[in-house]
Order: sequence, then structure tokens, then C-alpha cells
Amino acid sequence: MCTVILVSGFLALWPLQRNIDQQLGSSRNIADVLYLPSGKVLRRLSLGHDGLLADIYWTRVVQYFGRRRLAHSERFDLLGPLLRITTELDPQLLIAYRYGSLFLAEKPPGGAGQSEQALALLRRGIVANPDYWRLWQDLGFIYYWDLKDYPNAAKVFRVGSERPGAMAWMKVLAASVAAKGGAIETSRLLWLEIARQAGNEQIRRSAEDHLAALDAQEQIDKLNALLALYQKREARSANLLQELVAAGYLRTVPRDPSGVAYVIDRNGRARLGSHSKIDLKLLQ
Amino acid sequence: MRIVTIAFHTFKESVRERVLYNLIVFALLLIAAAILFGSISVGVEQIILVNLGLSSISIFGLLMAIFIGIGLVSKEIERRTIYSILSKPVSRAEFIIGKYFGLLLTLFVNTAIMTAGFYLALFYQKRTLEARDLSVLSAVYFILLQFAIVVGLAVFFSCISTPILSAVFTFCLYVIGNFLGDVRWFGQESQSGVVEKATTVLYYLLPNFSDFNVIVRVAHGEKIPGYLLLSNSCYALLYVTILISAAILVFEEREFR
Repeated sequence: MCTVILVSGFLALWPLQRNIDQQLGSSRNIADVLYLPSGKVLRRLSLGHDGLLADIYWTRVVQYFGRRRLAHSERFDLLGPLLRITTELDPQLLIAYRYGSLFLAEKPPGGAGQSEQALALLRRGIVANPDYWRLWQDLGFIYYWDLKDYPNAAKVFRVGSERPGAMAWMKVLAASVAAKGGAIETSRLLWLEIARQAGNEQIRRSAEDHLAALDAQEQIDKLNALLALYQKREARSANLLQELVAAGYLRTVPRDPSGVAYVIDRNGRARLGSHSKIDLKLLQ
Repeated sequence: MRIVTIAFHTFKESVRERVLYNLIVFALLLIAAAILFGSISVGVEQIILVNLGLSSISIFGLLMAIFIGIGLVSKEIERRTIYSILSKPVSRAEFIIGKYFGLLLTLFVNTAIMTAGFYLALFYQKRTLEARDLSVLSAVYFILLQFAIVVGLAVFFSCISTPILSAVFTFCLYVIGNFLGDVRWFGQESQSGVVEKATTVLYYLLPNFSDFNVIVRVAHGEKIPGYLLLSNSCYALLYVTILISAAILVFEEREFR
């Protein structure tokens, strides 16, 4: 008898809980709550298990960011506070500074578009881990890519290149940014390095998307130069790229990195084909 | 020799406790869960395993130390077995020391099992074990030093109070022992000479458990310096000696009716 009551009791719990969840609806969504807003307080309360709490908070960052991205949300209100708590709990958790700053800095819908918070996070990381040169690389990257602040980017890359164990290319990068600002080859060097280091599929894919967009932008610039030359020599604008092929300016109609042929728009400028998977907005 | 006999019997008695096996199973399950937990995070798989593994060993070991430690003396009194033990040529001091080492041995064996489980999980995750993975053992050693003090506290309170109150006192002292740095800081900030002196006395008088918290450092592959190993070992040894001496003093004066 007791066994029957026990089993049926547990079985009844399931529909009952589902019913309660449905009634409470969105008010039950407790995922976007900080619980305790201060990492320092949490650290005190952890009784020496602050590392474990930092891991839990870092996992919350990853889950929160992933969920928002999947929902194509443009609001990432908790991302900054969650990262602050994570790094206050464990100031040596380097991955939180590195990936966290990328999550914060990238423009919506890919990221939070909070470059200033990303800079603040990395600066805190540098204070806590002064010998880790990669944080300087990430800081310089945000100045370079997100803020287009090339003098500061060059300065940060140069200071980072002087940290122990820094790769020689950091010096090259510092010089290149100082001399050429936002040149495509400098951007490519940075994204190649991010793709090479990425330990996470999402970040690697993002870096590859940026690299593909850079390649496409470079090809479009070259095509526009050819179109201008064609117009000057032939005294008329080309409507199709096949005309440039026929005139010997191109061997074949070029395709973008996603394999879709470029086209000419109404203004006579080269652009991506309508089925292209390349996102040039990533370069803005 | 009599101490060894009592310790061995205490060990045999402790391992019969069902709660012990439940706690070990929970700890091993948590260590195994660290592998799954790591897979929903990014770039911290091994750090999570070390943090969760060592925290499980620490928390469950602490529960064992408190819940078995508080019953060590009181159970003997409750069951009236204390009369037959003390009627033999066994001094009260030997009884307390034997009981203490018996429980410490139990915790040592349990920690060894949980540590083996942790290394098994680490091997499963990495498919290999390297020499640097041994640095985790220094954190396990510090956890054992914490247990040594907690068992000392539990035995001491077990001599003067009921099991429930002993558990409360031991746990409270463990919590306060993790906040001693803050207690001292509050005193310094209070602008009151008396409060500052009182908090300074508390800082040195109570067991400072935060000295033993090295889990995060080990999780980041940091090596624990030799001087810290030595000074923490001395600190734990000294504190345990004080606690056991106090327990013996109280127990010597206690009358059984």
C-alpha cells in the first residue's frame, strides 16, 4: 500500500509541477538574477571555496551569453556584472578576462557592444595578472577593432610586447598599427591570431567569419578599382562582371569566401551576391 | 600501545557508520559531475574538476569530522561503555588521544578514497596524468590539516557538551575561523582601542582556517611553497596539541554517574 502511495505520489508531482510552472510563466524565469551583486562578499561567504564559485559564475556567464545570442537579443545587462563577480571571486581566471572581453566588446547581436566595460575588465585583469601579456593583446585589440582608436591600440601593443614571454609579432603589430592604422592586413593578422588561439568553437567561428569578411572586403575594393579602370578606358560602366572577363580585366567572375559570385549594383559598384553568407557588417 | 588499540577500535567503529559511506558516495558523485559541469562551460574544464573535486573532499570530510567527532566521547557515556573502558588500565588521556587518532585515521582513509576518485576523474578527462598533477596533493594535505583541527574541536566540545551543541560549536568555530582576517580588520577599522585589542586576541586565539585555503592556487597550477607547507603543518600540530590537552583537562575532571 505504502509503495503504491509512494510511486503514485512521485508520479503526481510531475504534472502538478508542470501546472505550477505554466501558471507562474515568465515570472519563474530566475536565470537572469545576480543573487549577490558583490564578488568580494561572495568570496568571504564561500569559506575557502571561492574557486568553485568562480567556476559556477563563469559557467553562468557562458550560459547567459549563449542564451542571449541564440535569442538574437541586443540586451546583455547582466554580462558585465556576472564577469565582474567571476573575476572578483578568482582574479587569476584568465579565460574570464579573455573571452569575457570579447563577449562584451562585440557589437550586437553578436555581443553586448559594451567596449568600455570590456576595457575595464581587461584593465582589472592586467592589474591582477601583470605578467600575462595576452591581456595586453586583447586590450589593444579592443582599441583597434571596436573603438578604432589606433594610437592607443599601438601604445597598448607596444607595452604588451615588453611583458615577459610576449611574442615577437606584438612589436610588429604595434609598429603596423602606428604606421597604417586600420589597414586590412593588420586586421587580418589580429583575427588570424584570435582564430589560432581560440579554444572554443564559437570564438573560432566568429574569428573565421571576420577573416572571411575582411577577404571579401579586400576583393570588393579591388573589383571597384577594376570597375573604375574599365569605365575610364571603355568610357562606359559595366553592368555585369562578365563584361570585365570578356574585356580581359578578369580571368573569371570572382567568388567570395562563401563561394557566391560578386555582382555589380545599380551604382556600378561591386557587392556581395544576394545568397552570400558573408556578413560585411562585422567590419563596421 | 593502548592508544593504538583505542585508535584502531575507534576506526573500526567509525567505518561501521552508514552516514560515512553516503557522504563518500556523494563526494565521488560530485567529483564525477565535475566532468559534466566542465562540458557546459568554456575553457575551464580542468580548473572546474580541481575546484569541485577538492571542494567536495573538503566539505564532505568536514561533515564527517563534525558528525562523527561529536559522538566520540558522548556515545561512550550514553551507552555507559565508558565505565568498562576506564575500569581497565587505560588513563583518560590515553582514551581521548586514542579516540582522536582513530577518527583522524578514518578521515585519512576516506580522503585517500576521495582523492583516488578525483585522480580517476582527472585521468578520464585528460587521458593522461603528469607529474605536475601531483601538486593537487599539497591542497589535499592542507585539507587534512583542517580536518585534524576540526576533529580536535569536535573532541573537545564532545567532552563538555551534548552532541548537538558540540556540532553547532564546532561548525561555528570553523566558519569564524574562515573570517578571522575580516574580524581583525573590523577591529582595526573600529577606531576603538578595546575592540581592536579584543579582535587581535581573537585572531590569534581561534583556529585560522583561511591559512589552509589553497584550492584556487592549485587549480591554476601554482606550486605551494615549502615554507607554507612547513608553517601550516606546525600551526595545525600546535593547535591540535592545545585542543587535545584542553579536552584531556576537561575529561580528567569530569565525573560519571
